[in-house]
Amino acid sequence: MTTLLNLFLLSLAKSTPLLLASFGGLLSELSGVINFAIEGMMLVGAFGAIWTAWATGSPWLGLLGGGFGGLVIGFLHAVVSLKLKANQIVSSIALNLLAAGITGTLLNQVFNVYGTSPAVPKLPGIGETFSGVLGLPARPSSSVGEGLSILVPIALAACIVLWVLLHRSRYGLHLRACGENPGGAEAAGLAVWRVRLSALLAGGFLAGIGGAYLAIGELSQFVEQMTQGRGYLAVAAVILGRWRPAGVTAAALLFGFSEAFSEWLGIQWVQVPSQFFLALPYLLCLLVLLLGLGKRQHPSALGRL
Amino acid sequence: MKRNMAADSPRAGASGGDRAWDRLLESVSGPLVACAAALPVCVVISLSAGAGPFDLIAGLWKGAWGSADASAATLGKLTPLLLTGLAVSMAYQARLLNIGCEGQLMLGALASAALASAASAKSLPASLLAPLTLIAGAVIGAAWAYPAVWLKQKRGVHEVITTIFMNTIAIHLCEILVLGPLGDGTAIGRTGEIGDGAVWPPVWQYGAMGLTAAPFFAVVLGFLAHFWLSGTPWGFEVKAAGCNPESARAAGIEVERWQKRMFLLSGALAGLAGALEVVAVHHRFYRAFSPGYGFDGITAAFLANAAPGWVWLSGLLLAGLRAADKWLQLAVGISPSSIYIIQACLLLSVAGQPGIRDGLGRLVSNLRAGGRVQLGEHTRTGEPESRP
Repeated sequence: MTTLLNLFLLSLAKSTPLLLASFGGLLSELSGVINFAIEGMMLVGAFGAIWTAWATGSPWLGLLGGGFGGLVIGFLHAVVSLKLKANQIVSSIALNLLAAGITGTLLNQVFNVYGTSPAVPKLPGIGETFSGVLGLPARPSSSVGEGLSILVPIALAACIVLWVLLHRSRYGLHLRACGENPGGAEAAGLAVWRVRLSALLAGGFLAGIGGAYLAIGELSQFVEQMTQGRGYLAVAAVILGRWRPAGVTAAALLFGFSEAFSEWLGIQWVQVPSQFFLALPYLLCLLVLLLGLGKRQHPSALGRL
Repeated sequence: MKRNMAADSPRAGASGGDRAWDRLLESVSGPLVACAAALPVCVVISLSAGAGPFDLIAGLWKGAWGSADASAATLGKLTPLLLTGLAVSMAYQARLLNIGCEGQLMLGALASAALASAASAKSLPASLLAPLTLIAGAVIGAAWAYPAVWLKQKRGVHEVITTIFMNTIAIHLCEILVLGPLGDGTAIGRTGEIGDGAVWPPVWQYGAMGLTAAPFFAVVLGFLAHFWLSGTPWGFEVKAAGCNPESARAAGIEVERWQKRMFLLSGALAGLAGALEVVAVHHRFYRAFSPGYGFDGITAAFLANAAPGWVWLSGLLLAGLRAADKWLQLAVGISPSSIYIIQACLLLSVAGQPGIRDGLGRLVSNLRAGGRVQLGEHTRTGEPESRP
């Protein structure tokens, strides 16, 4: 029973960055911009979080710094793919390269190290936060649940807010109008460029926070290439979730679960090569994609200006 | 003369002068703008690392072409970069993006090394072993590409996603195999050395290592691909299927089949890149075999606008960057990661050509019209990329 509960909590922890990043991806794809740059947004977010947390000593400011890092990549994606009319996939790939280059170079220039940054203060766990708020004496967290980063419930709440925003607000309507029929939206008086820019900025911020979770929520340091393809997993979650918040949430949770499950299995079956468990989440994702979930419905104007 | 006419009627549309000017802009502006964008970036990186403004560029040049050894190393790196670049651009002819070259290259290399190092294979005559080794790499590369195109056609999953996943899986699979059944039994994680018959010896004593025929072979393949695309009916069918699948289908071209063929060809080229790397450079497969050649292939392809006839040039540029990155760290004290920034700037400015050209075109026609108010806008939108 405790195993199951722990597995569930571990899944939540593993899903959190994916959930944040895939909602970031969902925002930009709903507005009609293909966004494979999530990977780069997360990476820059992770570095931004470490840098800010290191410079200010506050992990909360680090979280903001992480969001800002992702936002910068989102801005670049908007400029290159919307203003310079670049192929949006190529632009994304270039931005992922840029993210890898900038984080590696800055890591060297700011911290004077290669590969791994020094440790910085990390975000508190749930238990710690509550005892802090209630003024209870600090104690080591007694269960996995209390040890979860405070960002886990925050991410879940953010996703619910976004869900409502996308389907119940005027802005959500505008966003989807730009993704379905930018010409019509333009004719109706919407500034399509501005709506898409806002979606990319907000998406970048979310993905950046997702990256920050990896750096100061799970760990307390930056490791070169630490996102390890999670950005692409997030995009896969958007596709698998068929561009609907509920579907995307379910897909991100599924991917998080498969990551947690692989980690757990890796501890159980020590005789199997560990690389197998590293590859397993991706295998499971491929399997889910293979099963197929009927016709996909991407926004009609996805990738078009 | 024509120019004057165009100036007299600035909005005459695509008059002869305009078109010639456009074509000139199109061919020249790409590389120029890319270099113009990369130059200040290099200077900024250089300065921020506390070096002189042009130390980075000088370091890159020295590291890539500064000595016989350096240029031999650069030319050696051209092989995998050109072939993966070719792989990406051939798939892109059918408007498919093969991001999976890294995995295809790794598995192709592992397959050819495992085959050529097997004890029974070592006794094969060279005339049989050498081609078999390359074929093994190409076949495995194509096989690893197949699921992506299958999922795309049968399940509508975007190939970028699947190929990325296949990359990760391939990298872990290679580790498992090379530490286990295909390894040489040591804990280092490598295969045995390949048989002499499979090795490509240096054909030109240049630098300490000498040069094998592999880079030249790759260049020839690139030109072959170019002529195949531009001079044969099959090439025409591929391009038609890529540019406008609907009308190609209406004209009786088997679009889906061409997509599949081009994607498999792409995987095969990436696998071949791995196999050549084995027979010409390392003579075995080991863990962490590829320093990201597959991903660099994407950059190589799109720096050359996915034109197979020009990938050799972008490949050469990237090979130079790759060959110089350690030099940067040792001699100039700049992180080798900075080459990714340079690559990204080049790629972004090439990808942004439609918008940049629009801007330049507007500027030019404004100048030509002598600042008169323009009616209508010079609009040329980029190629729409849709997910079918």
